[in-house]
Amino acid sequence: MMCATLAAQLVQAQTSANPEHISLTPRHGTEQAQVVTLLRPPVPGRASAKEAPSFYKPDNLYQYIDGGADIYLLYDFQTLLHQDFKSGGTELTVDIYDMGRPEDAFGIYAAERSPAYKFSRIGAEGYQAKGILNFFQDRYYVKLSGSGANLDALLDQFAQTLSGRIGGVRTPPAILQDFPRERRIEHSEQFVRKDPLGHAFLAPAYVAAYAWGRQEGKLVISVANDALQSKARLDQFAKHFKQSGECVAAPELGEGGIRARNSYEGRVMARTKGRYLIALLNPPKTGAEILKTVAQNLR
Amino acid sequence: MSKQGEWNRREFIVRPILWAGAASVLGKADVLLANAVNETTPGPVLQRTLGRTGLRLPVVSMGVMNADIPGLVRRAYEVGMRHFDTAAGYQQGRNEEMVGRVIKEMGVRDQVVIATKQPSRNLPQSIAEAKKRFVEGVETSLKRLQMDHVDILYHHAVDSVEDARAEGPLEALQTLKKDGKARFLGLSTHKTQDVLNEAIRLNLFDVALVMLNYTMAHDTGMLGTIERAAKSGMGIVAMKTQAGGTVKPDPKLPKELPPASQTALLKWALNHESVTTAIPGFSTYEHLEQDFSVARNLAYTVEEERFLADTSFAAKAEFCQQCGACRTDCPRLVDIPVLMRSHMYAVQYRNTSMAREMLAGIAPGRGLDGCDGCESCGAICRHAVQIAQKIAHLKALVGAQSLSC
Repeated sequence: MMCATLAAQLVQAQTSANPEHISLTPRHGTEQAQVVTLLRPPVPGRASAKEAPSFYKPDNLYQYIDGGADIYLLYDFQTLLHQDFKSGGTELTVDIYDMGRPEDAFGIYAAERSPAYKFSRIGAEGYQAKGILNFFQDRYYVKLSGSGANLDALLDQFAQTLSGRIGGVRTPPAILQDFPRERRIEHSEQFVRKDPLGHAFLAPAYVAAYAWGRQEGKLVISVANDALQSKARLDQFAKHFKQSGECVAAPELGEGGIRARNSYEGRVMARTKGRYLIALLNPPKTGAEILKTVAQNLR
Repeated sequence: MSKQGEWNRREFIVRPILWAGAASVLGKADVLLANAVNETTPGPVLQRTLGRTGLRLPVVSMGVMNADIPGLVRRAYEVGMRHFDTAAGYQQGRNEEMVGRVIKEMGVRDQVVIATKQPSRNLPQSIAEAKKRFVEGVETSLKRLQMDHVDILYHHAVDSVEDARAEGPLEALQTLKKDGKARFLGLSTHKTQDVLNEAIRLNLFDVALVMLNYTMAHDTGMLGTIERAAKSGMGIVAMKTQAGGTVKPDPKLPKELPPASQTALLKWALNHESVTTAIPGFSTYEHLEQDFSVARNLAYTVEEERFLADTSFAAKAEFCQQCGACRTDCPRLVDIPVLMRSHMYAVQYRNTSMAREMLAGIAPGRGLDGCDGCESCGAICRHAVQIAQKIAHLKALVGAQSLSC
């Protein structure tokens, strides 16, 4: 593994006098030192760096992606390494977001993906669309984009190289296996670090969309520290609906079961299973069975 | 003068005005605050006109960027919000998809003002190519929104004068307006002073989306520019009004802000009459209700007054009041107030070139070049600003050597 000093030398050698570009010195964090090694020479396609890499932190990510930064901050974004490359007539931009934790890398990746993309096996999961290739792996969310005649090949080569260098965790969060497969909209799964469904007390949670005929709904698994906390979350959820609409006890749904509705969130059924709160938004007629299946899947 | 931490209400009213050096800007706040205790009862939703567009908007709108939650948009409409702000770049377009789907389901397209934003890519490209890319980007946004037009189309993240006058996006915006795909044109910026001045000169933009919050209270140049832009007929929409408070407090602010802080900060921005509406980016129903409560009365409650008058908060928000009392503390007669303003530009507005420009204007030996050699800094701020720490930070950011001229 390349040490921080070597990484610092590497970046300093590339750094221009442009004040927007930060030379990596010991005062910069180890995250930067780690992430910059991912773009160490040689890079694919004999690409050459157009300029020194730039780094962004939570307090200046706005400079790069403006209001889009907010959602990255929701996922505890740590560092962004940004660098532009040129290979013949092809231009390529590499953005590597270090999110600190694999679930947050999945979280921000999933927040930006659309189920309609063409998915590939790169990293833990990735997809390609016109001029872009994005994937997540371990604690990193990698976004590649560019233009030029050989772009697709270059995107693929860079993605393979970066994935090999990242190593680590190459699978989505294990809890997603507990979501029933039937009727689930593929690639709709999300991890929501803060404010799932618009309620801070439900955080963090995993969410997936389902299609029951023309009807769409969402299955939510809110992960608490223990059974006591998940019960408190359910109580708060019930209280919210009592105040904004209606909520009744539904013991047939299992532990603490409730059925609720209001004008803007629609219908909800929910229960707990140990430290998990399971909620189904806009449930089908078989909603009770779905809740039961999820409760059984969760260990 | 009262001691630090013991401001009375009158001082609280006056001090922000002194900081801002713009009494006219905060004049309304002064009037409202005079009877704050008795006048905080919610009234009808306050509406203002968005400059030359003529659009009447509630003073609180929804910045949808953090909310991939259809229920939040529905609730926002229910409580009375009528302006929804999204962008092509938010969640790679998924935010636009969600907004479009909900507005269509609710059947309220003609009741709401939809804004989206399109960036121009910083690529070596001809004017025609830049125009084509921009137009294609907007057409993709319209497809995602399931709309034939947006009400406000912003050129997104215009952070330099060159970006503001870039011909490709300007031609694209005008073509899109002519074709009926955008009713009004705007730009969004974090470099308010430079970019708004250019926008005033160009006289092509109907609306400007600018960052405005309490940490900028003493930036007279920026506040004055916003006011000039409003007077020129541009509608002003404020963003980042709570300094990132509902998402993740700005690192400059205390980690734990009291509940009154969110409404206080939002009211502070909206008490600038040149601002038509703000677009807080709430992501919970609780924050939605809290933010919209502001739209029914902009007078500060006692708790909000207390929060804004808290000197430790003001210090953490990096306020230098430019009183100049620290000048005599420094044996080398360093111009500390100017260094503090330079720090503000370098850190709060992330505008190092502005900071350098300001530093270059200081007399030789009175700037960063004059500040060295002391074992400990003798300059003590009467308002709790950490002078030595900020100067060290400024040196690290802009480099002392290059500024000794």
